[in-house]
Amino acid sequence: MNTHPYLRAYLAGIFVPTLVLPLLLTVFIVVRIVLQAPVPIEQALIFPMAVVPSIFGLWNMLYLWSAPRIHYPIGLHGAVLPLLLMPMGALLATSLGVLAIGSHGVTWFQACQIPYTLIAPCFLAALVGYYLVWKYIVGFLNRVLGIA
Amino acid sequence: MNEDEQERMKKLLQQALPPVEADGGPSRDLWLAVLRRMDASPAALPWFDLALVAGLLGLAAFFPASIPVLLYYL
Repeated sequence: MNTHPYLRAYLAGIFVPTLVLPLLLTVFIVVRIVLQAPVPIEQALIFPMAVVPSIFGLWNMLYLWSAPRIHYPIGLHGAVLPLLLMPMGALLATSLGVLAIGSHGVTWFQACQIPYTLIAPCFLAALVGYYLVWKYIVGFLNRVLGIA
Repeated sequence: MNEDEQERMKKLLQQALPPVEADGGPSRDLWLAVLRRMDASPAALPWFDLALVAGLLGLAAFFPASIPVLLYYL
């Protein structure tokens, strides 16, 4: 019987972004409709809705393929992903008007000001967050689905 | 169609169609194995990962504007 391990790896990979997306959508709707902030919700949701889940799934398929050849932990594999995702997300956000680059910092969603001095800590936080998510959630799902 | 022809047709059909049992799915209930794997997962976090979680929470607490940006990438 073909057990389709790559399909299971894809499904385990998209689990976290699929759960986070409704949360993100709720935050954006509350900020825009309740707090009346001019957040460009349609443009802001393109990346987390269309790109991130697919890349998570494909990244987990890549881990399943590469883990027997190169022995390394799944947390490290996940921590590398922001190096690919953050430039892509920033480029897309800039082209869609979600991210504005200023003289003292960047402005996300026309509302969140982040000075340049905090970009490096935010990048490290993304690495840490991805490390923890991949080690504990995606790794757990891989074990449950029998592909770890 | 008489009985001989029916019997012959039955044999021909049995020869033409592969047996269903050959790839009929798992022979046992797999959900119990899934439950065992979920129970066997370690629950305790190492101190290094706890420190990373604390760092993340600290950044979110001192700089809440980073929360939607980090969620944007998840």
